[in-house]
Amino acid sequence: MSEFDEPVPAPGEIVSTPGADVLVPSTTIRATAIPPTTPAETELSGVVQFSERKQARRENWRLIRRRPAFIVGVFIVLVWTSCAMLGDKITPHDPFKPSSSTHLSPSAKYPFGTDSIGRDVLSRVMVGARDVIKVAPLGALLGVLFGVIIGMVMGYFGGWLDNVLSRIVEAFLSLPVVLVALLAITTLGSSTWVVIGVVSALFTPVVARTVRSAVLAERDLDYVTSAKLRGESSAFVMFKEILPNVSGPIIVELTVRVGYAVFTVATLSFLGAGPQPPSPDWGVQVSDGFRVISASIWWTTFFPAAAIASLVIAVNLIADSVQSVLEAS
Amino acid sequence: MVRYLLRRLASAVVTLWLLATIVFLIVSVLPGDVGRRVLGPFALKEDVARYNHQIGTDRPLIRQYLTTIRRLFTLDFGNSYQTASSVNKIIFPALFRSGKLALLAFVITIPISIAAGIFAARRQDKPSDRIVVTTGLASSSIPEFVTAAVLLSVFSVHWRLGKVFANPPDGTSVIGQFRYLIMPALAMVVAYFGYITRMSRAGVIHGLQSDYARTATMKGLSKGEVMRRHILRNALAPTITVISVQIGYLFGGIIGVEKVFNYAGLGSTMLNAVTHKDIPVLQAAVLLVGVVYMSSTLLADVLIAFLNPRVRLETTR
Repeated sequence: MSEFDEPVPAPGEIVSTPGADVLVPSTTIRATAIPPTTPAETELSGVVQFSERKQARRENWRLIRRRPAFIVGVFIVLVWTSCAMLGDKITPHDPFKPSSSTHLSPSAKYPFGTDSIGRDVLSRVMVGARDVIKVAPLGALLGVLFGVIIGMVMGYFGGWLDNVLSRIVEAFLSLPVVLVALLAITTLGSSTWVVIGVVSALFTPVVARTVRSAVLAERDLDYVTSAKLRGESSAFVMFKEILPNVSGPIIVELTVRVGYAVFTVATLSFLGAGPQPPSPDWGVQVSDGFRVISASIWWTTFFPAAAIASLVIAVNLIADSVQSVLEAS
Repeated sequence: MVRYLLRRLASAVVTLWLLATIVFLIVSVLPGDVGRRVLGPFALKEDVARYNHQIGTDRPLIRQYLTTIRRLFTLDFGNSYQTASSVNKIIFPALFRSGKLALLAFVITIPISIAAGIFAARRQDKPSDRIVVTTGLASSSIPEFVTAAVLLSVFSVHWRLGKVFANPPDGTSVIGQFRYLIMPALAMVVAYFGYITRMSRAGVIHGLQSDYARTATMKGLSKGEVMRRHILRNALAPTITVISVQIGYLFGGIIGVEKVFNYAGLGSTMLNAVTHKDIPVLQAAVLLVGVVYMSSTLLADVLIAFLNPRVRLETTR
């Protein structure tokens, strides 16, 4: 327990050590949670655990922030989010008002051209992020929430419960998400909350599998055994003891899932299982636009498609940065 | 080996059964009256009841469930709501057409991405490696329909290199069909290139750093021979696994590609079924995709077992 010999930094104190890029290894964090023998030590180890974990987190966050891919990704996401929130206050034209100037090719007045009923494509692309930017993160968040609970239960309890749930997870994973989502939305209708619910339900199994294997690696460690011997409830051990130690894979999973959610929601709305015309949603716009593409009217398809690509790539750049830093630590 | 195969087959059957149950739960137990959904809100009550009786949705759920399971294992999916003809007559030709498209996509993707993986692995962390990895990450994260729409607008419309509609007229020769299918296939190549490249790159890097590669180099084999005879053989297993998984997942992306190129495959059939609330067709399509996924991963596992003496001779599993 060499880390007990080291001076313990007070919470909030910034520790400057040579080579600050070296992270506090996660084993240190676990080791400090080893069974306390006296009440005094209980308090001490609690403080150590808290401050070191906080410090490791701050360090990781600093490393993530410095990655160029992360900065680019966040910038693009912020641009689309502000477009979605400000909406038609900042668009050059009314995104919903038809005009007589239909199918104009890109020009100074209409940089992205106009569509089949004379609406400005640039304005529509700007407000088109509204649905996906709300639906995708919510779906991913709920999916991760359910996945964490189920995966935690699978990994912690094991046994027949784990066996049965693993089989169900495997069955879910054998189908493309878009396909099952299409089936579910056809039977349930395509309102926003249905799409969010379906996306989260379909992301739950894969998150559960990740969390399960992370929990399996923790389950037999000393700090878990000691918490059990202390007589803590299963819920306490799972969510107060194990959860903080598997937060890395969960955060990675969340960022990766947001990327997949944008992908899935955009595809579903292109396929007609989402917002309906005249919604300016990007998927709906592409679906509208490609019908006239054989007449060389490419701009109504190309710009919303490029917008989808930029958002998906941006979210993946963020996810990739978070993943590289957290998995290295 | 035989025991391993039997175990693997049994687990595939169990997964398929669970899959059919999930699909059944989605279409039957979720709220909503099938007859009402198909006939619309203005249909007479009696008509809705008669329709439900005709298609069997007024029977007890347990009987409907048993029918679904029987259909899965006999591969006879009953009749379509929309046309009243057999679902099999609609679904199997569509699956065949999608299969052709998918085959072309994979024939192009696999060699390119394995070559790119080896290329990147040998130049690990150099700029050329970063370019391959980043391109793969970006291209595999873009939805397939977006790539398809961009390819359609740039190559098929602007440069007139491919066809806008991918359906070849009846009687087109195999080479003639290639011109119709190449653009939609390329959209799928862009989507799946990233995954397979990443996997083969990781496998080769792992091999390059291994003891067996060092031993082989030190006993005097040339670089190319170490790569061919030792590293590639070991990197093959994870690559085969990822390819087999992609074969199942491809049916999620192919729907968008088929819609963009107006190709009459399984994806278009499903979209048509969605518009007309033709649940039996949709259900059959989803289950068939499940069967394809199960078969391809099963085949991959058998292939890997066959290639690897450690798995082949292991008796405990």
